[in-house]
Amino acid sequence: MRLVALVLRRAAWFLPTVLGLLAITFVVSRIIPADPVALVAGDTATPAQVEALRRQLGYDRPLPVQFVTYVWRLLRGDMGTSLFTTRPIVDDLASRLPATIELTLVAMAVSIVIGIPLGVVAAIWRNSLLDHLLRVVTVSGLAIASFWLGIMLQLLFAMRLGWTPLNARFQGFPPPGMTGLYLVDAVLAWDWWAFAVALRHLALPAATLAVPALATLVRFTRAGVLDVMQSNYVLHERAMGLPSSVIVWKLILRNALTSTITQIGLLFGILLAGAVVTETVFDWPGIGAYAVNAIIRSDYNAVMGFTVWAGVIFMVVNLLVDVAQGFIDPRERAS
Amino acid sequence: MRRTWLRSVAMGGIVLAALVVVSALALSVPAPAQAPTRFVFANESNYDTMDPHAAFDVGRVAVRLNLYDGLYRWLDNPPALQPWLAESHTVSPDGLTYTFKLRRGVKFHDGSEVTAEDVRYSMERILALKKGAASLFATMVAPASTKALDRHTVQFTLSKPVAIFLAVVPEVHVVNSALLKKHEKDSDWGAAWLTSNEAGSGSYMLTRYDPAIGFIAKRFPGHFMPWGAKYIDEIEFRMVKEDNTRVLGMIKGDYQGTGGYLPNDQVKRLREAPNVKLIEQESMRIMMFQINNQRPPMNDVHVRRAISYAFDYDGFNKEILGGSVERNPVPIPNNLWGIPKDVKGYTYDIEKAKAELAKAKLKVDRPLTVGYLTGFSQTEQAATVMANGLRKAGIESKLTSELWPTMVERMKKPETSPDMVVYWISTYYADPNNWIGEMFHSGQWGTFKASSFYKNVKVDDLLDLALKSTDRKVREKAYQDAARIVVDEAAGVWIYNTKYFGPWAKSLEGIRFSPIGNGQEMRWVYYAQ
Repeated sequence: MRLVALVLRRAAWFLPTVLGLLAITFVVSRIIPADPVALVAGDTATPAQVEALRRQLGYDRPLPVQFVTYVWRLLRGDMGTSLFTTRPIVDDLASRLPATIELTLVAMAVSIVIGIPLGVVAAIWRNSLLDHLLRVVTVSGLAIASFWLGIMLQLLFAMRLGWTPLNARFQGFPPPGMTGLYLVDAVLAWDWWAFAVALRHLALPAATLAVPALATLVRFTRAGVLDVMQSNYVLHERAMGLPSSVIVWKLILRNALTSTITQIGLLFGILLAGAVVTETVFDWPGIGAYAVNAIIRSDYNAVMGFTVWAGVIFMVVNLLVDVAQGFIDPRERAS
Repeated sequence: MRRTWLRSVAMGGIVLAALVVVSALALSVPAPAQAPTRFVFANESNYDTMDPHAAFDVGRVAVRLNLYDGLYRWLDNPPALQPWLAESHTVSPDGLTYTFKLRRGVKFHDGSEVTAEDVRYSMERILALKKGAASLFATMVAPASTKALDRHTVQFTLSKPVAIFLAVVPEVHVVNSALLKKHEKDSDWGAAWLTSNEAGSGSYMLTRYDPAIGFIAKRFPGHFMPWGAKYIDEIEFRMVKEDNTRVLGMIKGDYQGTGGYLPNDQVKRLREAPNVKLIEQESMRIMMFQINNQRPPMNDVHVRRAISYAFDYDGFNKEILGGSVERNPVPIPNNLWGIPKDVKGYTYDIEKAKAELAKAKLKVDRPLTVGYLTGFSQTEQAATVMANGLRKAGIESKLTSELWPTMVERMKKPETSPDMVVYWISTYYADPNNWIGEMFHSGQWGTFKASSFYKNVKVDDLLDLALKSTDRKVREKAYQDAARIVVDEAAGVWIYNTKYFGPWAKSLEGIRFSPIGNGQEMRWVYYAQ
């Protein structure tokens, strides 16, 4: 019941939050001194020609009218069309989302599978050589610029060793698929060549994204486990002779994961909104690169569409994190 | 505890090993069959639309050159206009009517014949969409004035005599009117459909397209131009954003071609690659500073001359750029007709700069803003060199950078444009009007090319004469006279003409570079072995 109440409360705030986000983005994108209509009209267009195109596209109407029209269309699922591609924004986003989702899922899976156990081990063997080593690695992982890391990985694994491709999501164009998630489509089609190619192409960009995510999870897990390890009930269970593995993985970890879960949620949200730098270095055809292009060219509808996507993702992820916290920690459910 | 740790590590290791084994096994499965010869080009820009009438930029020229044909085509260097879909043309004595005779039997990719009606429709479509090359044609051709006189004769009636019409007619990429009418929606001229498809007759036919990746096209055996004994069966043009990745990809062999305007350090890397050859040609792309001629103190000719003497041309071209460019002292490329060969231009001379400042009626009593483009490091280098020279001449300056779209917006008006901005002017069509005409005619104010806001009635008259006359000698003299005045009045600072250093796979032959197109037309290219 409490969870239902939580979901309903969040749902009630959803629309005003998205509207507020849209209003701010709308105003900011119009204030920036760049004229996308002039870009579309071409470098040789005269001011009169630009104005003629502006009227044709409807960008000469008062800003409040443009905003209300946009919101009204959005409520009916129409995000408008791109100034530059003339394609519906919904289609543009839909075609790029699977790339971002796949990269995010793989990067997060790697960072969770490796990061959480490492965080536990670092806490249990606190101040050992391994703990110190992990601290150096995690601080480096957070400090290293992702574009530098990506380029270094390219130089080592793609150029020097030849183990992975240099960039892109697939060799050439992929075979047609159902979901747009190349690994899933390959499995559904029983195409193991395509599966291997997609996996190899995922390796470097996923590693680039996973390193800072992993570093964050190791640090938060370590801190959480250290905090819980000193609790009275843990000492009690040790005294009662419960096996260490049960104490660590069932008692301590579950109670220590609260902040780690929050971080996982935040990281998911950030990555799903588009890992711009990684997508640019590796020419990953995802949302991030699309958003940057839209912002640079002031492609109004694309900027607004991306904002809606990012806003919705963050709200949904935050809700899921709160729900997950409720499952993990009964005190959250009671409150 | 140790057992727990070891168990976890072992499980992780097993999962990882399983993935590696699966991948290795899977890669031993033969890849799907591919076309006999393939070519992959790494492009800096997105191919975000396949519509040839929606884009007029060099970044996406591969779509227009390979999938479509025009009445004429620019080929080779120096660029020459060759009949293409048209066999011939005539011009009326008053310069208003251009009549083109089309080749017979030319087919679109769907097998239907290319007719005069398709050409007429294509021109009307360009004018209606108001994108791409429309801004050029709209000043010359009125809607509904183009006529298909018969199945193979099309006539353009200009609103005024314009000598550059023939130079820009290659930008009328002919589309399959019947196919587009079938896909028209809400009177959009088929724009929604054509953005992701093609309706051309070019050497290659579109097979795959993804706006996030690029496009693949296969050879059109029925193209009207005969194919040589060797050719490329399938071409792929894909977006690769980073210079570094494009260069590494060329060295690795992932790509067989990429753009030829790379930074000097990247060109050096490619020279050393054993599987890459560099085709070096003088292109037509001038780097220059536009000076805001309307804003004090730059509205004083002596201040502008001082600025022109303050730039270290040799230091920038030879030292910083390693001699990879050609000094170009006038506002027309060195390798195009119309330049006054007797004009040597300005040199780096601080004493002359100071002498000019002494003659100026207006004193430079504030820092001058020097604008450059964010993301284009060479413009930042040029701006820094300029600032350094100005300081030596006693003028302080302030550097300011913007993204290109924002800078274009600022350059529309004299009040908002920086005191000077450095950028390039590329070849949209091979005619001096593309440079000096569009830069220094006062009627062009409001476009980025004319952000000098220069006004000289005599220059306007000369440029109008050059634009109206169809006599090449008259035009050449008019452009030369105009260039002399503009240089004497130091309306801008002209630094260099770009050299094209095109990286191509060593095994490729038949590449025909033209400053319009940058060698991205693939129909003559083949693998030697």
